[in-house]
Amino acid sequence: MNPNDRQRNDRFPQSPARRRLFTAAAAVTGSLAAWPTLTLAGAAGPGTNRLVLVILRGGLDGLGAAPAIGDPDFAAARGPLGQFAAPPLRVDPTFALHPSLVELHAMVGQREAAIVHAVGLPYRERSHFDAQQVLESGGTRPYELSTGWLGRALVASGSKGLALNTTVPLVLRGRADVDTWAPSVLPDPSADLVARLERMYAGDPALATALERARQLRADSPMATQDAAPAGMAASGPRPGAFVTLSRRAAEFLAQANGPQAAVLEIGGWDTHANQTNPNGPLAAGLRQLDLGLAALRAGLAADGAWQRTAVVVVSEFGREVAVNGTLGTDHGTGGVAFLLGGAVQGGRVVADWPGLAKGQRYEGRDLRITTDLRAVLKGVLGDHLKIASRSLDAEVFPDSAKVRPLQLLRG
Amino acid sequence: MSTPASTPALAGAIAAHRFGLGEPSLEAVGSDPQAWLNGQIGPADAPQGSSLLGTAAALENVATELRARRAARAAAPGSAASAPDLANLYREVIAADVRSRLLTAASTTRPFAERLQLFWANHFTVSLAKGSVRGLVGAFERDAIRPNIAGRFETLLVAATTHPAMLRYLDNWLSAGPHSRIVALEARRAARRDEGTRVSGINENLAREVLELHTLGAEGARNGAYTQADVTAFAAVLSGWRIARDPAADASRFDPDWHEPGRKTVLGKSYPEGPNALYELLHDLARHPAAARFVATKLARHFVADEPPPALVDRLAAVYLKSDGQLGELYRELIHHEAAWTPLPAKLKTPEEFVVSTARLLAAGERMFERPEVNAGGAVFSLGQRVMAAPSPAGWSDRGDDWLGPDAVWKRVEWATRVADRAGRSVDARRLAVESLGPRLGAESARQIERAADGSQALALLLLAPEFQRR
Repeated sequence: MNPNDRQRNDRFPQSPARRRLFTAAAAVTGSLAAWPTLTLAGAAGPGTNRLVLVILRGGLDGLGAAPAIGDPDFAAARGPLGQFAAPPLRVDPTFALHPSLVELHAMVGQREAAIVHAVGLPYRERSHFDAQQVLESGGTRPYELSTGWLGRALVASGSKGLALNTTVPLVLRGRADVDTWAPSVLPDPSADLVARLERMYAGDPALATALERARQLRADSPMATQDAAPAGMAASGPRPGAFVTLSRRAAEFLAQANGPQAAVLEIGGWDTHANQTNPNGPLAAGLRQLDLGLAALRAGLAADGAWQRTAVVVVSEFGREVAVNGTLGTDHGTGGVAFLLGGAVQGGRVVADWPGLAKGQRYEGRDLRITTDLRAVLKGVLGDHLKIASRSLDAEVFPDSAKVRPLQLLRG
Repeated sequence: MSTPASTPALAGAIAAHRFGLGEPSLEAVGSDPQAWLNGQIGPADAPQGSSLLGTAAALENVATELRARRAARAAAPGSAASAPDLANLYREVIAADVRSRLLTAASTTRPFAERLQLFWANHFTVSLAKGSVRGLVGAFERDAIRPNIAGRFETLLVAATTHPAMLRYLDNWLSAGPHSRIVALEARRAARRDEGTRVSGINENLAREVLELHTLGAEGARNGAYTQADVTAFAAVLSGWRIARDPAADASRFDPDWHEPGRKTVLGKSYPEGPNALYELLHDLARHPAAARFVATKLARHFVADEPPPALVDRLAAVYLKSDGQLGELYRELIHHEAAWTPLPAKLKTPEEFVVSTARLLAAGERMFERPEVNAGGAVFSLGQRVMAAPSPAGWSDRGDDWLGPDAVWKRVEWATRVADRAGRSVDARRLAVESLGPRLGAESARQIERAADGSQALALLLLAPEFQRR
């Protein structure tokens, strides 16, 4: 059922060398071959599938979010970072999820979520800003491309995108039809003023386009005027629950019959240089917020049956060093983790060509070695879910990526 | 000197809006726009506002917070100190800092200097988004940035890098040399008590960002100007630069107990043990050709175009190297370069620039920043930018695309509507448009403002006109 050899259902090998594994969730017994082959009554012309991209900005610690507790070198490699305030949530004999990821863990158990580990970009340096540029542009080097891979994919599939943000992130930039939406705190201006502004913006296409899209979007939004005011100036960091609110709104837009096919959500705060073991620290709190947001997406889409046609991809620009730094945190690294969830995902498993954690197995002796190109994950999802031809994926969406074969991660 | 613009009136309008923060009347610029800008080159104005703390007092506040936390823990072991009480310690400090920043920009008669202050505060971002610098960002801007915007880049770099707010923001205060005395002491203490160590080694956050965001630029790394080994060695040079134990006696921010012993090699050059290595290293970084190029590009991008003209960047970089990083020389070159005076404005104002220039247009001054319902800090926030709280050490974007999402533009429309509802009846937007924008006011905008249904709508249209949104 899986043409790609990476997907063979190998047993967990005992060799400490690089090993191939592809495991079913421990919580789910029974053979993988028993996947229900029936799908989804009434599904799913290509246009009706939904894709959500969640970008974790700052560099998620992959081994913090999905610790390889069964790796023989885990405890020694991670030191104090291997200790969690509550037991990690076991996925299989090797991998677990951070105790904050309760909802995601439940989705793994229901075979709606998969973990892709030791994954990363072709970019191997440690700059946030360059790595995010590569992550979003879909190139191999920073600034070689100035538009985003999802933007190009939407052009290729003739789909519409939505950024749950005030501005359009690079990943959606290009010629694609993209809207932005963020909660409003002020009353709506009059239609008369907007009509006059449209005339005034006739000579300024950038402002004119933005205004026209905003006007349409406001008209479509089910919740346009009902949002609470944001917290005051003194709060630090993103206000609690902001991601959950955005996830809920994203689900509302995506559930509409003529809604966008793809939505991008962003959540910052993953640059955990310090205090990572604290159960109320930035990593645990960030994962909790992420977890609640993913659950809100699921709940919002499940109500309309759209969840069955949804794939959510959660990515970060890079992982972090394997070892603890001097401040109970981790410094910038390369290899990390990605999550896939949604009714369209063939879940309940960890997909990894596991490189091991011993010093000699790490990249430059420091980082979890990248054994899966993130583009293979993204290409697999875009090909299967948005029905984008492989020629287009190889040449336009991810230029010069023919050698990066798509992973099959969705239900066939 | 090159002719800056086709007519003196157009040059005046460009000077006021592109290099300044807007003026209600172009008379403020006078008959020689270049001389008006030239005369502003120097340290930024003394900040306006009250209850502003210096760095020492701001640090004392941080120490008070720590003591309060400790006391709360001691009183109720196991529970975290109650957050609301501690937040109150900072709320007033932050409110005063934000208000001062906006009020100073809205009322200064040297708006070019103020723009440069805002530019450098963003270049050396220290952000309230990180809890560890709460209450310190205003002091950082006033003490490290304002006095140093027109001196040598090296002076500004040293002031920013060694300021306690930066040392905290990028974690350097927690970074200890792996072979430092504190690590050895901590290891013994931990062994005695059978606990984990609290201090064990290097944190390379500040070292990396000084290289990537403050001096050589990410392009520097891509071109091989520095490597991971340089970052690590630089972090060792920086170890020990932290907050003095007694902030009131802020004689030195260097603690030798935390410093990594021995010489370090950064960018192929060997630096001695001790605090002076940082000054030597920053001196060398400031003279690096990649730094000249990086600063020149950012400055040209900020004032002229998202993709600045290469000729202008080359010229600024050359002046930087020739003058040994004299920033005043760079500004002079910028305002005398033809490429900086193109009639069509290429840049979109950031939300903060939009709100501040609105306050200046309406001569709203204090009023705008006193009344809670038009609280300017809140206004900037509602437009997508939190004052002094950039989302990352890279600061706010300086590219129009990043502020041009439909939602961002819509929020500007909403905010302008609200301001105009309040102020529109007491000003004549038609006259204001002509006096403020001069020859930059286009025919279509003038027509729409002229035909507006009422004074409020006319003012909203002026605030939202492309000529006022762009600079």
